[in-house]
Amino acid sequence: MERRIFLKDCALASAASMAFSTGLLTPSIAFAEEFDPFQATSVDAVLKILGIDEAEASNRIKITAPKIAENGASVPVIINSAIEGTSEIITIISTNPKPLAARNRFGKGAIPSISSRIKMGQTTEVIALVKADDKYYSAKTKVKVTIGGCGG
Amino acid sequence: MEKSTIKIRLKEKDGQIWLRALIKHPMETGLRKDKMTGLDIPAHYINDVVVEANGETVFSADWSTSISQNPFLFIKFSGSKGDTVRLTWKDNMGKSDFIEKTVGKR
Repeated sequence: MERRIFLKDCALASAASMAFSTGLLTPSIAFAEEFDPFQATSVDAVLKILGIDEAEASNRIKITAPKIAENGASVPVIINSAIEGTSEIITIISTNPKPLAARNRFGKGAIPSISSRIKMGQTTEVIALVKADDKYYSAKTKVKVTIGGCGG
Repeated sequence: MEKSTIKIRLKEKDGQIWLRALIKHPMETGLRKDKMTGLDIPAHYINDVVVEANGETVFSADWSTSISQNPFLFIKFSGSKGDTVRLTWKDNMGKSDFIEKTVGKR
């Protein structure tokens, strides 16, 4: 009798864990994805959630990043905006699992320039979006990530 | 007192304050697995950084897991010697830390 109950419990437990791993949890993730740009998994989805329809390409945004990065875990990236009224710089790493890397907002008196180190899983485009007076501008550059560190 | 997780350097140059900060933080993506146990390492990352000068916010950022481990930050804003600068970070697990420093003092 006891053995029978034990077996039944086991079956229930495994069924529950199966459900969790296969599909039951996905609706909540999908739900979060719709609103949180940081959970979005593609560049298009990020732009859609942020409400950016159009971003004018601008050469007044300067991205300084290595052409070839030997260590993708820490790539120095400097983004400078010479656009007047810049209030926000958004950094997107296009091939990362979650492309949106950072939203940097600049207050009064701040110079719209940001220097930080970013992870890159593979060769990617670094996209910088600049918000100035409710208009968006963009610039991009390519970074080649060599995992072995031997060039290539 | 526990050692601060933030190292900060402030320098005044031509009416601008140059802020360089290094924060000690693992910045786990949540995509890695523990090699010993095979279990997922939960995401653990800083998602909010604020810099205030004399109580006014000059810079704030939302970060994601794409920012490198032990994040480095370099920003500039207008100010002068004697300004009090405060940097605060918060992570997705509810931890936080801050540092306050006066420009021009060691």
